[in-house]
Amino acid sequence: MEETGATVVKHPDMNRSAEDIRGQMVQLLPRLRRFAAALTGSVADGDDLVQDTVERALKNLHQWEPGTRLDNWMFRIAKNRFIDTRRSYKRSGVVAVEVPEDALSVTGDGARAANARLMLADTLSALQKLPLEQREALVLVTVEGLSYRDAADILQIPIGTLTSRIARAREALAPLAPEG
Amino acid sequence: MQTEPTHETLNAFIDGELPPKEMERIAMLLAEHPDLDAWVHRQEALRAGIKSTFSELVTVPPPARLVQAVKDAPVSWRWRLQQFAAPRIWAPMGAALALGLVIGIALRPDSYFTNRDGQMMARGALATALNDELASDRYTGSGPRIGISFRNRNGHYCRTFSADTQSGLACHGDKGWAIALLAAYPRTESSGTYRMVGSEMPDTIRAAVSADIEGEPFDAIAEKAARDRRWK
Repeated sequence: MEETGATVVKHPDMNRSAEDIRGQMVQLLPRLRRFAAALTGSVADGDDLVQDTVERALKNLHQWEPGTRLDNWMFRIAKNRFIDTRRSYKRSGVVAVEVPEDALSVTGDGARAANARLMLADTLSALQKLPLEQREALVLVTVEGLSYRDAADILQIPIGTLTSRIARAREALAPLAPEG
Repeated sequence: MQTEPTHETLNAFIDGELPPKEMERIAMLLAEHPDLDAWVHRQEALRAGIKSTFSELVTVPPPARLVQAVKDAPVSWRWRLQQFAAPRIWAPMGAALALGLVIGIALRPDSYFTNRDGQMMARGALATALNDELASDRYTGSGPRIGISFRNRNGHYCRTFSADTQSGLACHGDKGWAIALLAAYPRTESSGTYRMVGSEMPDTIRAAVSADIEGEPFDAIAEKAARDRRWK
């Protein structure tokens, strides 16, 4: 749809170059990857989602309101893209949990790396069993360490809804928690 | 007597989301309720476990293909249109304007324009920029700057630009770049010099682009291809 209106809100930082924004997006990649892996249940699928997300974000950059947080906006795109396309991330109904060897090339310590891979696989598969709305809420708060306010903003839900989703997610994951 | 906190309150406690006084109250309450305390501990361990599991992912550099995607993916042309520096002081005139009409506002006898058989043409550094520069080129901060490029309904290549105190639209023809539209930046009284007061394209130019464009503005690849064909 063509925008013909002349309503342009000026922001002091509006004069960013595309290079600045691309630079910020590169900085955001690790966090986006982490979020996407937790969402899709696989590092490889997560990376596909991240690629889709950055392409989408750049293509729709005019929809980002300068002065607001670029990271929150991109998390929201990632979450929406996942909902739109998640069928393509599921292989014949089974969520593939695959952690490529090089995704976790923890320096030197082979045993630790192997252990980390195992833990990641366990956690990914446990998260996959959560309903999406609980998973995304829990991941934003727990994995990304976002405040309830930011998480609710990204998901565009009231904080009360967010907290009840987190509570339900935690109940469901409780068996994973170490005893005593 | 204090009521037992709900799991939602305990979750907020775990996530550090309660006001300081409430955090204190819950901490004291937990000391008196071993069962609640155990629940909180388990959930805290789970939270830490999940977080540390995924934190491994942010310690490695992202795959090259993702970095490349960020660097190569085309940027919204509407965004580039907004960024293309110029004020929008000529909005009231916009509706009356059509392509091919030149408004010679603030036209000084400078080196960017020349009159050829009654048609204003780009010359000098402006002609060079229109010929050679890509929107993705890093702008050095001086000289003409290229905005967006597109093909118009007559099949000509057109490009928006800003140069010094002006902002305009030029279309390529047999004799070079014909200036289709030109608008000026307003003069800032306080400093007495021309400067950019806004960051968006003048509405006149935006309207002209919208009216005359065939399809969408070029992405970086199409722009480079057109440049390499010398805009023919």
